[in-house]
Amino acid sequence: MKLLSRQILFSETCGMALAALAVCACGRSGDMEPVVVGGDAGRGRAALIAYECGACHRIPGIPGARGNVGPPLDDFVERVNIAGRYANDPARLVDWIRHAPALKPQTAMPDLGVSEIEARDIAAYLYE
Amino acid sequence: MSAARPQSTLDPATGSSASAIDELGLVLYVGAAVILAVVSLLALLGVLTGPRSVNARRWLIGGGLILPATILAALFVHALIVGNSLMAKTHASMLRIHVTGKQWWWEVRYESADGRPEAVLANELHIPLGRPVEILLGSSDVIHSFWVPALAGKVDMIPGRETRLIVRADRAGVYRGQCAEYCGAQHALMAFHVVAEPAARFDTWLTRQSQPAIQSTGPQIEPGRDLFFRGGCAACHTVRGTEAAGRSGPDLTHVGSRHAIAAGTLRNHVGTMAGWIAGPQDIKPASLMPNSAEYTGAELRTLSAWLMSLE
Amino acid sequence: MPMRHIHTPQFLLRHKFLFGALGACVLLLIGVISGIAILLSGVLSTAATTQHAAFTHWLLDTGLRYSLRANADDIEPPDLSDSALIHRGEACFRAHCVQCHGAAAMAREPHGLGMMPIPNDLAQASREWPAGWLYYVTSKGVRMTGMPAWEFRLSDTDLWSTVAFLKTLPQLTRADVLRIGSLPRSYCVSEAGAIAPRTGDDDLDERGETLLRQYGCHACHRIEGVVGPDARAGPPLADWPRRRYIAGTIPNTPENLARWIRDPAGISPGTLMPDLGVTESHAREMADYLFAQE
Repeated sequence: MKLLSRQILFSETCGMALAALAVCACGRSGDMEPVVVGGDAGRGRAALIAYECGACHRIPGIPGARGNVGPPLDDFVERVNIAGRYANDPARLVDWIRHAPALKPQTAMPDLGVSEIEARDIAAYLYE
Repeated sequence: MSAARPQSTLDPATGSSASAIDELGLVLYVGAAVILAVVSLLALLGVLTGPRSVNARRWLIGGGLILPATILAALFVHALIVGNSLMAKTHASMLRIHVTGKQWWWEVRYESADGRPEAVLANELHIPLGRPVEILLGSSDVIHSFWVPALAGKVDMIPGRETRLIVRADRAGVYRGQCAEYCGAQHALMAFHVVAEPAARFDTWLTRQSQPAIQSTGPQIEPGRDLFFRGGCAACHTVRGTEAAGRSGPDLTHVGSRHAIAAGTLRNHVGTMAGWIAGPQDIKPASLMPNSAEYTGAELRTLSAWLMSLE
Repeated sequence: MPMRHIHTPQFLLRHKFLFGALGACVLLLIGVISGIAILLSGVLSTAATTQHAAFTHWLLDTGLRYSLRANADDIEPPDLSDSALIHRGEACFRAHCVQCHGAAAMAREPHGLGMMPIPNDLAQASREWPAGWLYYVTSKGVRMTGMPAWEFRLSDTDLWSTVAFLKTLPQLTRADVLRIGSLPRSYCVSEAGAIAPRTGDDDLDERGETLLRQYGCHACHRIEGVVGPDARAGPPLADWPRRRYIAGTIPNTPENLARWIRDPAGISPGTLMPDLGVTESHAREMADYLFAQE
């Protein structure tokens, strides 16, 4: 069976190599991850837990965050818009986190007095 | 002002029964450790040194009968004394708090006294420092268990019976307690807080709690009251000082001043309050409060702000 | 069995089925790998300026005809000689068709010229194809070409009136066509309730999913059960019954959702979600679809 097993091995290796190539090619291209100046994702996670944002939002990596009042916050970096009206960039996200009712009077999201630094940290975590 | 580990039996409040039990435990651990060391040493000696003759009877009766009997008797007496001190006798002037376990929250009632009407609240107790307080425990549905690890042991709350617990704290702080008897779907999210504070502050707090709701005014807050009634909240909740007199859910007269809501599940601020009102079934599935589809986003915030203003 | 016997012809012949199957698998594998390699190399042109190979063109064209034969042969047209119908069809042709298809003596507009395949000459199609085929293509569109589906934008009457007019195209003179071309671009608007009404034997899931696509919702939202681009302009519409609020502004109920779909800016001024001209019954169907997703 030596000849046949070598053939099979060769074609299998070719197949796997090309499959691996396919997976790599499917990854997202371009630099999409916005950099939040002065934001620390670790502190952001702590802030999200402290403010209990999970009472209204599903947030990946935050225990107990299973609220459905607001939209889920996973893959946030890929969203085109915030709250259906603002471009999704760090400055506007920080603004939204801090002053949602002022930006959108109809929103259910409250103003919790989040500081600038805390908001930047939260944004950094969400963009990860 | 919270303790570093508010729910730990390893960090009990001074003067509490948890502290006494902790000391007793320490005595047992240390004593057992000493005995273990001695016995291990003897065993080691026996193995390492050669065989030799010993007076078997002396070792058996002395080490196997007299020594253990003495130690155990001493421990027994000590434990009896500690146990007896925990079961302090009640007297008429003792502060009495009624706590009723419900699925899945705690109804707290301070009896009326000295012209002060009774105070009804939920999920939070305050006790004055340095005084034993009697807590009368009951249940309106299934068996629950009242447990504040840093203050005392567990006492079951059995429907149809009244059980007692004496609690005392000499160290100020906010202690967290939890239900300790499986009672249904949300047993895990049935917690409460006990705040131990100086007597003067406690008196101020209790007086305020026994008063009807102090309602704030202002365009951001006032409409919240109408929203509360429009949404049918009064069917289950009481807000003393308004027409709301529902009994199925917690008393909300001073809900804004509590440490947590949903029986210790969420911190207490405008955001969590709004999230709880709109979607309690997402936070605590199967709890008796239904999801609300009544309010627009702005109305939800207004209602939440009004409730938070009831301090 | 000694090893040297394996390579003998008798061994191969005795197990010919096994070796035949193995050979076929290997060939299949080589085919799949080659296909993946061609796809990943990007050697297949997607430019509309590069022409098809003649064989490819023939293949696609023939495929269309056979599909129409299978799906549109048994469509019975109404009486297409009615002059009111034809007059209405003229307005629809002017409003929606002539930009891409042009007509005799009337050139296509730039977006029609830039398409591949080029939108064909409708006078010829009307001579060569039965009315049922014309109706089917107009109503359902042709995927992977520039021909849109009009079923969800025009009522059945208006679709047939367009076909009725198309059938008169071969008879029109240059002067006729230029007259039509100079008409104001009257907008052929169908009565809302008559556009793609729900019928008794509709599969509700399929209908909801079709409506969401035909109103372009999947261009901005990832929707459960709808195949489309990895759209991130709007939030994902998955697990919809679980959501408590629509756009953070109104409670999530089927009635509110239908209201939102029809007039998002009226409920949340400043929203980037456009007014899609969704009819009331269609909005309700889409809301029901979303609420049926677990």
